[in-house]
Amino acid sequence: MQTFLNAFFTGGSRGAIYALVALGLVLVWRGAGLINFAQMGQAMFSAYVASTLIAQGKNYWIAFIAALVVGAVLGAAIDILVIRPLKKKSGSAILNSPSMREAIPVIASLGILGILQALAGMIWAGDERGFPAPVSTSAISLGGKSAPFTPFDLFVIGTVFAILLATSLFLSKTSVGLAMRASALNSEVARLSGIRTRSIRTLGWVISGAVASIAGLFITPATNIAPNSLDLILIVGFAACVIGGLDSLMGSVLGGFILGFTTSFIGVYDVPEDIFIAIFAMLILVMLFRPQGIFGSKAGRRV
Amino acid sequence: MLEIKELSVSYDSVQAVSGISFVAETGKITTVIGANGAGKTTLLRTISGLIAPKSGGISWNGSEIQGLRPENIVRAGIAQAPEGHAVIAELTVEENIRMGALFRLRKNRDDVRAAIAEMYELFPRLAERKNQKAGTLSGGERQMLAISRALVSRPQLLLLDEPSLGLAPLIVEQIIQTVSALCRETGLTVLLVEQNANTALEVADHGVLLALGKVVASMPAAQLRADESLRAAYLGY
Repeated sequence: MQTFLNAFFTGGSRGAIYALVALGLVLVWRGAGLINFAQMGQAMFSAYVASTLIAQGKNYWIAFIAALVVGAVLGAAIDILVIRPLKKKSGSAILNSPSMREAIPVIASLGILGILQALAGMIWAGDERGFPAPVSTSAISLGGKSAPFTPFDLFVIGTVFAILLATSLFLSKTSVGLAMRASALNSEVARLSGIRTRSIRTLGWVISGAVASIAGLFITPATNIAPNSLDLILIVGFAACVIGGLDSLMGSVLGGFILGFTTSFIGVYDVPEDIFIAIFAMLILVMLFRPQGIFGSKAGRRV
Repeated sequence: MLEIKELSVSYDSVQAVSGISFVAETGKITTVIGANGAGKTTLLRTISGLIAPKSGGISWNGSEIQGLRPENIVRAGIAQAPEGHAVIAELTVEENIRMGALFRLRKNRDDVRAAIAEMYELFPRLAERKNQKAGTLSGGERQMLAISRALVSRPQLLLLDEPSLGLAPLIVEQIIQTVSALCRETGLTVLLVEQNANTALEVADHGVLLALGKVVASMPAAQLRADESLRAAYLGY
């Protein structure tokens, strides 16, 4: 029972982090129609900035907010400096074909990931460094027995739920949220309605960058930061999106939790080596039997 | 007043609109009719900024608007209810209407609220369905919603693209009559693009007949309607 509860809470806190990564990916996907492979590069970069601030003796929360801002600014910069110019028609007929026009920004995002990793390597000389958690990461004891969760698990789960709630309220209740949904669903009708879809898309990148940075900060107490330390998390987050349904915000978030629990239970009851086999098995099963994702609505899907 | 001057539009190498000119008078209904492929929709999409013209100009109340972004064209007072009753199916009726007024919200919150209420008065069926997803509406209701979404921005010029497409004659009649009443009462200028020439010419003041991207005739609607040789040659009835 103790083992089960341990796996359960670890899975919940891990799933919460995957859900954040998935949320960040979906926000950009819905607005811009691309999988942003640079996302965890942005998160890695902001985690380095935060850890530098903490090494200088700054407060955890100041570092936390700095990381958010760095992630958000990187998001805006990628959209404005790289993705927008790529939307312009080029002179070459091959580059103007619809499939290339979809592929080019994705390839560009991979390039940005490389640049961010190289930059981080140059600035921080590839130091592997840790990053503290704001609360203890060892299990608390309840009446002499150690509880199946740590304060940090609860902190992560609580913060992630607050972020998910805030995001969904923002999207469903506010005017800017309506503009975001409209731009994502049908940008032509949105533009004819007077919505500045370009700025709205950039806002999606900004929120996605901030959300990804939080995910990065939550992972780093467990694994040290290195320029490429968050690459695997991106793959898991992407798998979560595909399993849950890329078009569905809630689907992707649930996909994150499904993977969190799966990896945690496999790690405890089976061997950790099987974790990635399980993730890819789930991915393949979903792609075979429900290619739009478990909670996805659209029949067709561009991948 | 909307003035189209020698406007040409092409897609890649295909010329869809070649050198057309006409005027849509303020407070009047001008209809652009013609067969499929005549360039009617291209014309409207160019006016609303979705397509950039190859040459020629569009002047709106004295200023040149060709090449502006659609979101700025709306701000200049030109709203389009696009072809195919385009609304956003995943959003509710209320959200679709609100969407058309978002850009005015910060400056004029009270008027936006009033404008939304007016849309429900204009089309009571939308009021009954305001919390339903737009995807659940009938074709006629979707067209009403597309028009409301355009009107809620309080345009001076309404561009209507084939409102009759796929709808029962009774509903077409109802929608067209609502728009024409609005035009008479509020001085709204309407540019109505239609394949259903008879219905359009019935309510319009002025008619422009397009064929293969060129203006074949531009005359008072009643006169165009009475011209049997034009009708037979270009509209096939």
